Amino acid sequence: MPEAPAATETPSRPEVPASGRRARKVARAEARKTSAWLPRWFWPSFTFPGLLWLLVMFILPFYAVVSVAFGSIDRFRNPLPVWQPWYWTTKYTGEVFQKFFGENAYLQPTFIRTLIYVGIASSILLVAGYAVAYYVARHAGKRKTLILVLLISPFWISYLMRMLAWVNLLESDGYVNRTLQLLHVTDQPIAWLQGKPITVILGLVYGYMPYMILPLFGFLDRIQPSLLEAGRDLGGSPTSTFVRVTLPLSKPAILAGLVIVSLPMFGDYYTQNLLSASPKTNMYGNLIDEAVGASGQGPQGAVLVLILMVMLLVPMMYYLRSTLRAQEGR
Amino acid sequence: MKRHPREGAKAAREGLERQLGRPVSRRDFLRYGAGAAVSVPALSAILAACGSNPRTTETAAFEVATRENPVRLPVIGEPIADNLEPEKGATLQLYNWDAYIWQHVIKDFCAEYDCDYEITTFNNMEEAVGKIQTGQLEFDVWFPTYDQLGKFVEGGFIMPLNHSYIPNLEANAWDVFQNPFYDQEWQYSVPYTVYTTGIAYRRDRIGDDEVSGAENPRALLWDSAYADKVGVYDSYRDTLGFALQKLGINDLNTEDAAQITQAKDALIELIDAVNVRATINGAYAKLPKGEYTLHESWSGDIVAGWGYTPKYTQSDYETLGYWSDPDVTKRPADNDLIVVGGNAKSPVLAHLFLNWMLDFQHAMDNFSWNGYQPPQKQADPDSLTSMQGLYSKISGSWAAPITYVPEWMSTAVVREDDLAQGLRVHELSPDGDQRWNDAWQEFKAGA
Repeated sequence: MPEAPAATETPSRPEVPASGRRARKVARAEARKTSAWLPRWFWPSFTFPGLLWLLVMFILPFYAVVSVAFGSIDRFRNPLPVWQPWYWTTKYTGEVFQKFFGENAYLQPTFIRTLIYVGIASSILLVAGYAVAYYVARHAGKRKTLILVLLISPFWISYLMRMLAWVNLLESDGYVNRTLQLLHVTDQPIAWLQGKPITVILGLVYGYMPYMILPLFGFLDRIQPSLLEAGRDLGGSPTSTFVRVTLPLSKPAILAGLVIVSLPMFGDYYTQNLLSASPKTNMYGNLIDEAVGASGQGPQGAVLVLILMVMLLVPMMYYLRSTLRAQEGR
Repeated sequence: MKRHPREGAKAAREGLERQLGRPVSRRDFLRYGAGAAVSVPALSAILAACGSNPRTTETAAFEVATRENPVRLPVIGEPIADNLEPEKGATLQLYNWDAYIWQHVIKDFCAEYDCDYEITTFNNMEEAVGKIQTGQLEFDVWFPTYDQLGKFVEGGFIMPLNHSYIPNLEANAWDVFQNPFYDQEWQYSVPYTVYTTGIAYRRDRIGDDEVSGAENPRALLWDSAYADKVGVYDSYRDTLGFALQKLGINDLNTEDAAQITQAKDALIELIDAVNVRATINGAYAKLPKGEYTLHESWSGDIVAGWGYTPKYTQSDYETLGYWSDPDVTKRPADNDLIVVGGNAKSPVLAHLFLNWMLDFQHAMDNFSWNGYQPPQKQADPDSLTSMQGLYSKISGSWAAPITYVPEWMSTAVVREDDLAQGLRVHELSPDGDQRWNDAWQEFKAGA
């Protein structure tokens, strides 16, 4: 097993702090030294089950989606995947692109509407989720575990069931309207379920809140108190310490939380289905759901999935780049 | 001898040849995926699970059955022999729409024939088609719509019937079903329920006379006075058809691009006018609770609506109304079917179940629960509004009893003339179907 030269390089330049890349190199060399008796494939082999799972559960279904998008339909008007790329057709891709960018681009407003809903919902989630996570991480004290359990408790019930519960709560004679009327906030019941964008957005906020809070809490909880104390020692007020120390340090968590909540929201369809059902509030996920369920529309549904994936690659890449930069800067 | 879709390469290749109408080359075979099923069985199993059937290809539409063009379906496979004993201790597998059969009736059947039962449900016909097409569902009995029948027969997914087990059809079913246009000589199917399509409304918010006396009752859904309280079915054929009729076009199977565009534009207007919602349960479950004032409705949905009223009182029931076109030739009317699965494990039991559901009393018991009327000769249409059904009698939950059809809702009673003269929905050509789907997608996109 060859010795890693990097391990001997670091002590020779102690005055220069190791860059992220060099630090990783050193760490790898150290790891190799401590496990020199193990074969080279030993540690990488730990990834095998995960990689196999990814291959079977992601890559093959993804290839199936591509094969449907560039495939055909059978005589039952169901999607007929064509597995061999040399037989692929762009017929359905062209049709969907026409609906996005052609003369009658009626799919475009749905995408823009989805973008707006997801943007607003994510912003509310960030503000509300950050406040909760900050409190739990910094000020909850002994109640931290209890609050965490309460935060996780919605996961015990499926998203669909929670949305159905919301339907009951928001009905004309539901508890929300009864409470508002009892408090004289309104005389007449508010028609929450009658195709209102606000209901869909609030439904998204409710459904995805734990997904925002947990990564934020995990990160805020790990910020060393000494950094905050240093900020205060340098004359910073609590507000400026938060703005100049806590907030910049939690940027990766904010990005992670936003990615975790916004990606599934783009594909969400049942929140809209259950809380509105109006075409006025239809989201991109509904287009996919309807195409997949409709006779002869399967390939178009698959094309819509691919378009969404490509569009989501942009924020995903930004997140990865930011995360890598943050790691290198550490 | 019937072949199961997954019986191997030979069957797959023969199936492909039959559908293409010519011998297939290895190139064709590979192209349509069947070759993969031979060469890489494990992979093909995974891929097949993603929804493909190597036996099927994109080809021309099936012959469309209409009243003017009755279709005698080809006999594929053999019916079961006469005088067989029902399978003892078997589990009858039913594949049905969600909440479309009263389990009380099935339990009675199983008590009679010493069997158990399992129901698998689907939410729409596309979902059912997709699952059945995989060939992995083993059902004894299922409930398709008649416009899908030809496809399933050719795919071997439905078994031809032996009439000797089903004497109740001849004895009890309406004449129009003794030799139906979609399945001449009822080789594969028996009728299950019949229904018309019209408008369900809240009588406490809009009077019967206001609806029936309107110049164009369908146009009431476009009236902004009912904004936020209007619903249509989330079903492209029904709702675009409704819009066509609102415009005075009574061809529910039109493939004319201009007419389909007109219907689509009318639906888009409906979004702006009343913020319409597209639902499946709005008519029977939400309108009785007051969430809607007007909803496009199948007669069976609104007849069952009393079971969703808040307090089950007479005054609650009386809030529900139904309008259907008074001109029978402009009234959409359809029926659903019961068939025996092509790979039924208990085919004798399945035949007996079809016969059971055509028995007058069992059919009416089921009607009392699901609201969808069986086409029974003995069920006098005029008495359905005065007779109480079993479900209403045996449950103590109701503050007031209810008749099969509420007496003020006689328009929801389906008559044989509706099926004989009313408007029927037929299968469309692939191009026509695409036009309807595109129009529906544009409406649903809310552009």
